[in-house]
Amino acid sequence: MTYRFKAVGRLLSGVLLGLTLMPWGATRAEHDIPGITGPTFNLYAAPFNISLPEGSSLYMWGFGDMTGQAGTSLPQYPGPTLIVTEGQDVTINLTNYGVPSTLPTADGPADNPVSIVVAGHHVAATGGTTGLVTNGAKYGETVSYTFTAGKPGTYVYHSLDGPNPGLHVEMGLLGALIVRPADGSRTAYGAGTETDYDQEYLYLLTEADPDVHFQMERGHYGHFTNADRFATVYFANGRVYPDLVQGDYNPLFPHQPYQSLAMSHPRDKVLVRNLNAGHDSHPFHYHGENHRFVGRDGNMLSSDGQVADLGRSDNTINSAPKQSVDAIWTWTGKDLGWDIYGTTNGHTCTDAGDGFDADTREYCADHGKAIPVDLPGVAELTLGGFWSGSPYMGDVGDLPPGEGGLNPNGGYFFVWHSHAEKELTTFDIFPGGSLSAMVVLPTSVDIQ
Amino acid sequence: MNELLRKNALSAAVTMALMGGIGMGGMGAAQAAVNVQCAEDDDHDGIPPADIYGNPLDLDDTDQEHVKCMHLTSGDGFAEMSDGHPAYTFGFADETGTDPSVVLTEGILAARWPGPRIVLEQGDEFYLSLSNVGTVMRPDLFDPHTVHYHGFPNAATVFDGVPEVSIAINMGSTLTYYYNVVEPGTFIYHCHVEATEHMEMGMLANLYVHPLQDRIGIGGTEGAPNLATAAPRFGGSGPTGYAYNDGDGTTAYDVEAPIQVSGFDSNFHDAHIQVQPLPFANLRTNYPQINGRGYPDTVLDDVNTPADQVVMHPPRDTDGFLGEGAGTVLNNGDVSQDMGAGISVAAGGRVLLRLSNVSIDRFFTLTAPGLKMQIVGTGARLARGVDGKNLYVDTTSVNFGGGETHDVIIDTAGVAPGTYFLTAAEFYQMSNNTQLDGGLITEIVVN
Repeated sequence: MTYRFKAVGRLLSGVLLGLTLMPWGATRAEHDIPGITGPTFNLYAAPFNISLPEGSSLYMWGFGDMTGQAGTSLPQYPGPTLIVTEGQDVTINLTNYGVPSTLPTADGPADNPVSIVVAGHHVAATGGTTGLVTNGAKYGETVSYTFTAGKPGTYVYHSLDGPNPGLHVEMGLLGALIVRPADGSRTAYGAGTETDYDQEYLYLLTEADPDVHFQMERGHYGHFTNADRFATVYFANGRVYPDLVQGDYNPLFPHQPYQSLAMSHPRDKVLVRNLNAGHDSHPFHYHGENHRFVGRDGNMLSSDGQVADLGRSDNTINSAPKQSVDAIWTWTGKDLGWDIYGTTNGHTCTDAGDGFDADTREYCADHGKAIPVDLPGVAELTLGGFWSGSPYMGDVGDLPPGEGGLNPNGGYFFVWHSHAEKELTTFDIFPGGSLSAMVVLPTSVDIQ
Repeated sequence: MNELLRKNALSAAVTMALMGGIGMGGMGAAQAAVNVQCAEDDDHDGIPPADIYGNPLDLDDTDQEHVKCMHLTSGDGFAEMSDGHPAYTFGFADETGTDPSVVLTEGILAARWPGPRIVLEQGDEFYLSLSNVGTVMRPDLFDPHTVHYHGFPNAATVFDGVPEVSIAINMGSTLTYYYNVVEPGTFIYHCHVEATEHMEMGMLANLYVHPLQDRIGIGGTEGAPNLATAAPRFGGSGPTGYAYNDGDGTTAYDVEAPIQVSGFDSNFHDAHIQVQPLPFANLRTNYPQINGRGYPDTVLDDVNTPADQVVMHPPRDTDGFLGEGAGTVLNNGDVSQDMGAGISVAAGGRVLLRLSNVSIDRFFTLTAPGLKMQIVGTGARLARGVDGKNLYVDTTSVNFGGGETHDVIIDTAGVAPGTYFLTAAEFYQMSNNTQLDGGLITEIVVN
C-alpha cells in the first residue's frame, strides 16, 4: 500500500486528523459527538468574527464555555454542544459579556437580553432581566436556567429575545443539546430500543444572510427587517465546505470548533443527529445508502415506547427549522456485484454466517469478482481531490502530480449535503456551503 | 441548416479539434475515445442488442434478459419555456445504438430537458455509458460530467458520480458506470459536477426500478411465479405493476406516472448563454416545471419520434431574446422537452405518482384538489418499519425538497370522471415567470 501526500495545507491536515493505521481486526475506537458535559454549564454570550473560505468574514454573536472544558473558552458557532443524561438536573448559567443590551427601534431603544430556550424542556430561569419568554442577560448580567433532562434525543437550544427575536439565531446564539439514555447504553434511546450505534455524528444545519451580519457589525441595528432576509451562506456544524472536513477544535477555526466529516467502517451503525437550528428548511441528502429514522424532536418513533419501530427509510431528510431528526445509517457494500477490496491483493473472505467476513466486513458473495467495466485512463478523467486513484477500498492508485491526495487511506467518500444545490455555495461562490461527507474506511483504519 | 446551426457546427469542429489535440496535451498518447462497454455487446461495436425497453438494436448480439445497456451523451442544448422564452441548458441525450464513431457529433446540441428517463427492473445489471460531447455554445468551457444515481443503495464511490470525491469524464471520452440493481423504487439521476450550475442547467432526470413482484407476483418465485398477480408484461394477469415488493398488493397500480418537479431561474440561464457571471446567491425559481415543461405544455404527449413533433416543436427563439428571430430553431432540431406529464386513468383505477423534486432552491407541496393521496414509499423504499409495520400515510398533499422522492398512490375509486389538477399548493407557482395559468400544473383525467 502506498500513500500519496501533497502540500495542501488546511485540507490535508484536517483529513488526516484522527486517522491512524491498525492491522486488520484490531480494536477499533468509536466516534462520539464532541461537546461539553454537564450537568452544570457556565456559558457566556459575546460577539466575535468568523472567516469564510471565500474570503469574507462574518460578525457573529455566540455562546462560549467559560470553563474551557473542551479546550476552548472562546465564543463559538454553533454554541457548545451540551451533553447530558436523561433525568439529570441541569443548570446553565449564562452571562452576557458583550451582546448589545439594547437595540434601537423606531420607538427608541429596546431591551435586547440574551436568553436560552431549550426545545422540549420546561426550563426555570432566575436572575437577569425579564424578557419575552424567559429571563435574559443584559450586558454583565447572569441568568441561571435549570431543568431536568428529558427523553433521550437531540434538541436545539437558542436565544429568543429582543425587538427582533429571530435576530439572535441569525447571529449565532444557538446550539445542540444531546440527552443520552439513563441506562448508559450506546444507543440513542436506551437498551432494547433497536437504536444501537457504533459511530455518532451531529449535523447541525444553519444558514446566514451576510447583509444582516454586516449591518450588525457596523452598529446599524435598525438597517434590517425580516422581510429583507435572504440567506446566502449555508453551514453544517457552523462551517462551510471545505472548512467543514478539517477536524474538530482545529486552531485554524478558533470560533468554529466542530467539523462535520463523518467516518465509519463497513456495517457500522452510524447515528446521525440531524438538527436544523436555522430559519429555513433544508433537504439534506445522504449519499451511499438510505438511513432509518428513529426519532424526531427527542421523541423515539415508536408504537409502544419500547422499540423504534415507526421509522421509515429515506436518503434525504426534509429538515424543518428547529426540528431534529435522529437516523441510523449503515453502509455494507452488499450486492455491488464486485469485490470492494479488488481481486489482486490476496485478501480472503470467510463468511461468518451472516454473509460477511468478520474482520474485513466484506460481503463474501461478491468476493473475487472483478469490477465489470474498465475505467478510462487518468487523461480522460477529471479527478477529485478526495479520489484515491482506485475504485477499491483501502487501495490507492497512481495519479498525475498534483491530483488527489486527500484520501490516503483509500476510503469510500460519500457526500452528505443539502440537495437544494444552491446551498452548496458560500456567498455566491461554488463550491462551498453545506457540502460535507461520510467516508467509509477499511477496518484496518482506526476511527477516533 | 439555419444560420445558428451552422455556427454551432463550426464551434463543434473547433471543439473536436481541441479534444483531439491540446486537450490531451502533456498526458502522453491521446486516449480520448467513445468507448461503450456493455456485457451483452457480443461484437463490441458499441451497439447493444437492445435498448433498456427491449427494442432491438443489433441482431448480431444476444439480448440477455437481466443485462441492460444505455449510452447517454452529456452536452448542451436549449429548451423553450411555455411563455416563449428560450433557456440555454446542459443535459443528457440518449444515443443508445448510435455508432460510436458519430456519437460526438450526434450528441451536439442534443441535450434533453429533463434527461432521458431510465426505467429498470429489479435484478438488472445496468451498464450506463456516458460520453461527454462538450458544450458547443460555450466553447470557453471544458466541463467534465457525471451520472449520480441518486439513492442507489450501498453505492461505490467510483460509480457515485461526485467529482470532488470520485471521477468525472472529460470531453470526447466515455465513462461506463456499472450498477447491480437490487432495490426497486423511485430514484433520480443527475450530473453532480459543479452541482449547483449543472443541475440548475438541467442535468436532471427520472429513474425508477420496477420490483421483482411485477415478475413473480405475490408470494411467487423466479421458478414458480404467481401469474395471477404478476404483471401482464411478464405474462401475468395481475395489475400493471407494483411500486414495491409489498407482499400484499397494496402498492398495485394501473397507471404509472413519473412526476419530476423542478424550477429554472431564467436569470441564471440567460447569464450563462451570455457568458456572464452566474447568480448563485440570488438563484430563485421563476419557471417551475414538471418533467421539463410548464403548464399547459405539461399535458402534451411524449415526443418519441420525429412524427410526434406535431405535439411540440423544437426549442425556438420565440420571444427573440437571443436575437435569432422568432422562428429560429436553437438546437439540433429535436424536441428537447420530450416528456409529458399528463395522466389519464379509467375511473376506479389506481395511479402511481413517482414524485421527485429536483429543484435547486426550493421546496414544493404537491396537491391534487378533489383526490386523495397515499404515500407508500419514500427515498426509494417501501414505507415499512424495521419490523414490517405499515407506515403508509393517507394525505392530500406532499411537501418535499430537492432530492426527495415519494411514491404516492391515487385511488380513483368513487371519483367522478373529470379533469383534476396536480399542482403546487404554493399556488403562486402556477405561472411561467409572469405568464399566468402555467408553471407547476398538470392534469389527471379520470375517464
